[in-house]
Amino acid sequence: MKLKTALLGAACALSFAPAAFADRGTDGEVKFTFPQAVSIMNPFLSSGTKDVYAASLVLEPLAGFDADGVIIPKLVTEIPTLENGGISADLTSITWKLLPDLKWSDGSPVTADDAVFTAAYCMDPAGGCAQLSKFDGVAKVEAVDASTVKVTFTGPKPNPYTAFVGALSPILQKAQFAACQGAAAPTCTDPNNMPIGTGPFKVTGFTVNDTVTLAMNDQYRDPAKPAFASAVIKGGGDAEGSARAVMETGEFDYAWNTQIPPDSQASMTAAGKGEFVVAFGTLVERIEMNMTDPDPALPEGERSTAKHPHPFLSDIKVRTALSKAIDRQILSDVGYGAGGKPTCNVVPAPDAWASDNTGCIAQDMEGAKKLLDEAGWVPGADGIREKDGKKLHVLYQSTVNPIRQDFQALIKDWWTELGVDVELKAIDPSVFFGGDAGSPDTFQKFYADVEMYANNSDGTDPETYLSQYQCVNAPSPENQWQGENMNRFCDPAYDAKVKVLTTTVDVAERQKIAKELNDMVTKDSMTVIPLVHRGTLSAHSNTLGGVKINAWDSEMWNVADWFRVK
Amino acid sequence: MFDAATTPLVQVDGLKMYFPIYSGILRRHTGNVKAVDGVSFNIQAGETLGLVGESGCGKSTVGRALLRLYEPTAGAVVIEGEDIAKLTPEALRRKRPTMQMVFQDPQASLNPRMTLADIISEPLVEHTKWNADRRLERVYELMDAVGLNRRFANRFPHEFSGGQRQRIGIARALALNPKFIVCDEPIAALDVSIQAQVVNLLEDLQEKLGLTYLFISHDLSMVRHIADRVAVMYLGRIAELSPRDDLFAKPLHPYAEALLSAVNEPDPSLARRPRIILKGDVPSPARPPKGCNFSTRCPKAFARCHVEKPELQEVEPGRHVACFLYAPQTGSTGTSEAKEHNQQGEYQ
Amino acid sequence: MLTFTLRRLLLAIPTLLVISLVIFLLVDLAPGSPMSEIPLTVPPDVRRKMMEALGADQPVFVRYVLWLRQFFWVEPATLFDGWFGTNWAGGEQRILSWQSRAPVFTIIGQRIPQTLTVIGTAYLVGVMIALPIGIYSAYRQYSLFDQLGTLFAMIGFSVPTFFSGTLIIIIFAVTLGWFPTKYDTNLSVTDWPSFVKQLQQMAMPVMTLGLANAAVISRYMRSSMLDNMGMDYVRTARAKGLTERVVVLKHVLRNSMIPVVTVIALGIPSIFGGAIITENLFGVNGIGAALIGAIHASDLPMVQTLAFIFAVLIVSFNLIADVLYGLLDPRIRYD
Repeated sequence: MKLKTALLGAACALSFAPAAFADRGTDGEVKFTFPQAVSIMNPFLSSGTKDVYAASLVLEPLAGFDADGVIIPKLVTEIPTLENGGISADLTSITWKLLPDLKWSDGSPVTADDAVFTAAYCMDPAGGCAQLSKFDGVAKVEAVDASTVKVTFTGPKPNPYTAFVGALSPILQKAQFAACQGAAAPTCTDPNNMPIGTGPFKVTGFTVNDTVTLAMNDQYRDPAKPAFASAVIKGGGDAEGSARAVMETGEFDYAWNTQIPPDSQASMTAAGKGEFVVAFGTLVERIEMNMTDPDPALPEGERSTAKHPHPFLSDIKVRTALSKAIDRQILSDVGYGAGGKPTCNVVPAPDAWASDNTGCIAQDMEGAKKLLDEAGWVPGADGIREKDGKKLHVLYQSTVNPIRQDFQALIKDWWTELGVDVELKAIDPSVFFGGDAGSPDTFQKFYADVEMYANNSDGTDPETYLSQYQCVNAPSPENQWQGENMNRFCDPAYDAKVKVLTTTVDVAERQKIAKELNDMVTKDSMTVIPLVHRGTLSAHSNTLGGVKINAWDSEMWNVADWFRVK
Repeated sequence: MFDAATTPLVQVDGLKMYFPIYSGILRRHTGNVKAVDGVSFNIQAGETLGLVGESGCGKSTVGRALLRLYEPTAGAVVIEGEDIAKLTPEALRRKRPTMQMVFQDPQASLNPRMTLADIISEPLVEHTKWNADRRLERVYELMDAVGLNRRFANRFPHEFSGGQRQRIGIARALALNPKFIVCDEPIAALDVSIQAQVVNLLEDLQEKLGLTYLFISHDLSMVRHIADRVAVMYLGRIAELSPRDDLFAKPLHPYAEALLSAVNEPDPSLARRPRIILKGDVPSPARPPKGCNFSTRCPKAFARCHVEKPELQEVEPGRHVACFLYAPQTGSTGTSEAKEHNQQGEYQ
Repeated sequence: MLTFTLRRLLLAIPTLLVISLVIFLLVDLAPGSPMSEIPLTVPPDVRRKMMEALGADQPVFVRYVLWLRQFFWVEPATLFDGWFGTNWAGGEQRILSWQSRAPVFTIIGQRIPQTLTVIGTAYLVGVMIALPIGIYSAYRQYSLFDQLGTLFAMIGFSVPTFFSGTLIIIIFAVTLGWFPTKYDTNLSVTDWPSFVKQLQQMAMPVMTLGLANAAVISRYMRSSMLDNMGMDYVRTARAKGLTERVVVLKHVLRNSMIPVVTVIALGIPSIFGGAIITENLFGVNGIGAALIGAIHASDLPMVQTLAFIFAVLIVSFNLIADVLYGLLDPRIRYD
C-alpha cells in the first residue's frame, strides 16, 4: 500500500487518503543529522548536497525521480512525453501542467509564473546560479496559462527532463524572490534561508551551518501527510558522530552521508538501534591516465598538453597492465564495505544505462607482467622495468583523504610487484578541486602520470557526463585549464558518437550508445580505469518507517511518506 | 646571682637539623645534609649572643630551627621553660609572640601586596582582640620606635629604601612585645652606611625594651660591636663559644683563630695579627669528615682529630672550645649539662 | 595608568591594521577555492559565473579595501541603525559569507551565545578545578595528592580533545546513555526540566575542555605557589604566629595569583575563539565550528573576519592583562 502510494506521488492528492494512514502531524518530530551543516536553503545558490537535500524538504521541482531512477510527477498532473503530447514532435519544447489548487505554504496559489520566474532567476547572468546547467539549451520559459508551463529549447532536446526536474531544480516562489534576482541574489539572506515552498515541511528556524527547524506544511497537497508534525536537521561533526547518534545512541532518526570505515559499520550495526542503507548512484572512484606528457622539463604551457604524447601511458599495453594488476574487490572492501562495489564502468548505473563490462574485476598480475614484457618494458637490475634506458616511473596523485591514501598504498604495492616505480602524491582537496589556474596541483592541470578521484553523472542520463571526454574538453592553457577531459583523451570516433547521442531520442538506442561510449574510454582504451562504484551510506533508526533510499534525487524525496514505527 | 637570673631565657640542647636527600629514580632517602649537627648553648635574658661563621655553616638554620620555622630533627629548644621543639602547632602559634625574627632580606621578607600598616598590624589581628584604632595606634607607636615617619603607614614595601624596609621588619617583629628576637643577618643586605644605623637601632631597642638577641652574622666587626658573647660555627657545629672580648683578644679554636685573623683591626696602633690562610674547601655538610669537622683544614690537626669528634668543653672560665688541643678546665667527666650550668655560673 | 591604557589603545590601531592586512593576504594566498566543495557535475563556466557573483574574481587589494570599509564602516553603521532606527549604512552591502550568503556578523551573533555558554563554562570549571589542585599540590609538594595532580595535568596536557572527547562520548553517551552526543542549539531554558537538559548536553563538551583547561592552569598555579612558598615573607608570616590557613590563603595565594590571573586573562580570547575540535565533535554551533567550516569551504570573508576579531580580542586582552597586573601588583606602575 505504502509503496503504491509513494509511486503514485501527487496523484494521491486527488484520491482519498487511505484510511490505514495516520493523520497529518501525529507522529511527532523526525530528526536528521548531517555531518556537514546546512549553509543555505536555496539550491540555486549552493550545489552542496547537504543544502540541496535540506531544501528538498521544502522546495519541490515539477517532477522528480524515484528510487529506481524513474521520473515521477510531483507538482504536475503527469510526466509530459511524446505520446501524451507533452513533448513536441520536433523535441524543441516540453509543456508541464500544474496540479489544480496547488498552494505555497503561505497559502497563496502556485502558478506557472512562479516557474517562469525561477527560470529567469537562475538564468540571470549576474546571479551566479549553481544549477545553470539545468537550463542548458533553454530558449525561453513561458506561462501558457496560470497552470501550464512551456519550456522551449534552442534545438531538439532528446532529454528535456532537466529544468524543473529533480531536487537541484525546484520551483521558487516569485513573490518571495522577486527582489532577489541577479546581483541581489546572494544578499537576500532571509528568502535564501527560509524559502517558501510546496513540500511537506516549511522552515520555522534557520541557524547558518547548524540547525534547520521545520514544521509540517498545512497547505501540503495530501491532507494526510506528512505524518511528522515537525522536523529538525542538525549539522556538523563528522560521519562517525552522525552514524553514532543514529545507530548507537538513538538520538536521531536519520543520518545522511555516514561514510565510515567498514569495521565501524559492523560494530554500529551490532548495537541494534538502526540500519545502514546505501544509495548507489553513478559515483565512481577511478584512476585517470594522462595521455600527455607531464614531464617538468617541458616548458610551461606545453606540459601535459596534446603537443607531447605521454612517453609510456600512450601505449595501451602499459595502461592495460596497470589496470590488470589492481584487485578492485579488495579496494572496495577495505575502503567502503557495504558502501561500495568493484566496477569497470564510468557509467555504473542505472542498470539500463550501464555496460555489462566486468572483465577488469579479477586481478591478473601474470597477464599484466606479460603485457609489459610485450611492450618492451623489461625488469632491470633493481626490479624496476625499463625500456631504452628509461625507467618505468609513475607519479600517482590524489587528494588528501584516508581512504584514498589506503588505495594509493595498495595500488602502489601491486604496481611495484609489476615492476613499476611508483611515486605517490596527496594534494589538499580544496587545491586539487579548486580549479585555480595558477596552481600546478589542480586535477585539471594533471601534472602527474595518473590521478585518482571520484566523479559522477548528474542524474540518470549520462549524456553530459560522457560528452566530457571529447577532444575539445581537454584542459589546456588556451582554455585557462578549464575542462573536464582530464585524460586529454582524443578520439574522433568518440566525438562522432557523442554527436549521435545528442540527437537520438529513442531511449533504448540512447542506452546502447551510452554503453558503447563507456566501453570506449574504459575497456577498449583503458584511458579511465574505474575502481569502485561508490554509494552514499546513510543510516536510519529502526523506529523510522518509509525510508526508500534514492540515488537519483534527494534521499528525502519521499519524506512525506515517512512515519514513526510504533 | 639570683636563681631567677641564672635560668637562661633560651636553652638549646643538642639541636640537630638534618635535611633529607632523596635520590635515584625512586627518590629514596639516601642521606642527610647535616646543616646543624648537635648544637647546644644558652642565652640569658637581656643578653646578645653573636653567631658567626662562613656562609653555609648552618648559622641561619640554627636561627630558624630555634623559632621552629623548620622542624628540628632532634634536640630541645627551651624558651621561658617551654620546649619549642615539642609544642603542638596551636600552642606554638600562641607562643610565637614571645619570639620573633628579623630577616636578612627586608625586601623579600615583606609581603609585596600589603601596606606597611597591614604588615605591622597583622600579628596584632592574630594575637590580640584590639580594634582597628588601637592597632593603628600601636602601629604608629612602633613606627616611631624604629624611626619611620607615620605618613608612610599606607605605603607598600617596594616604595621604601633598604634601610627603611629593615626598620619595618623590626617594627613588625616588635609588634607583640617579644622577649627574644633572632636577628638573621639583619644588615647583610644593606649599604654599609645604613648598617650602623640599623645596628644602633637594635641596640637602643634592646636597652629600652630589655630584649634578648641571637645575632646571626658573618660580619665579625658588627658582631664585635653588638654581641656580649660570640659562638663561632663551623660545618653545623659550634667550634668556640666565648665572651666577646676574650674571643677577639685571643681566639682559642684554630678555626676561630683563622676566622678572626681576617678581621680588620680598627685601631691601627695595635699590631695586626698575621693572617691565617686556610687551605682547601669546606667539606659538604652531607658528608662531614669522620673526626673533627675542621680536621681536614686545620693547620694544627693531629691523629686524634681525624678519628674522634671533639665535644664543646669549658677550657677557661666562660670559654668553651671543641678542640683536643685544650684540656677541659675541670678535667671531670661529668655530663655536659652539668658543665653547662657550671660554666654559666662562672660566666655570670 | 590611564595614559598608559590610552597610549596602548592608540598603538593598537596601526598594529591591528597591519594584522588585518597580513591576515587578508595570508588567507587569500592560502591554496583552495570556494568552488572546491562544489560537485564536479557543475560545469566550469557555471563555476566561473558563481565566482563572479561572489566578487571572488576581483584583485586582492580591491577586496581588501572593500572589506576594510565593510568592517569599519558598514557593519558598525548597520549595528547603529539597528539600535536607533537611523540609516547610516544606506543599504550598503555587509560582509557576506560566501558559503551561506548570510552576513558574517549575523552568523557570529548567532554563534557567540553557544560558544560563551559552553566554552565559557568549560573555562570557568577548568579554573575552579585548577586553582584548588594547584594550591594544594604546591602546599604538599611531592605528596600523593601532588603526584596525582601532576598525573591529571599530564593527561590533560597530552591527550588531544578529539580523543578525550570521543572517549567521553563512548563512556557517557553510548555506554551509560546519560548525555546526548549532539548539542541541541534550539533548546531554550525556560523551566527546570529544560535547564536539566541544557546541563546534560553541556556536560560532555565542558568535561572535555575543562580537563584541558584545568591541566594548564593548575600547573601555573602550582609553580607560582611554589615560587612564593619559599619566600622570606612567608616565613615572616609564620613567624608572626599566623595560622597555616592565613599564611597559605592570604600571603602565599594572593601573591601567587598575580601571574595566574594574567594567564587566565590571556586565555579568555580563546573562549571567544571557541574550540574548533570540541565544538565540531559535540555539534555545538559555536565560533570554532564556524571557523573550521569556513576554512573547509574556503569562505574567505568569514575566515578573514573571524581571524581579525580574534586578533582584536587578543590585543585587547593583552592590554587587560597588563592593566590587571598593574592593579594587582603594587610594585608595577605604568607611568
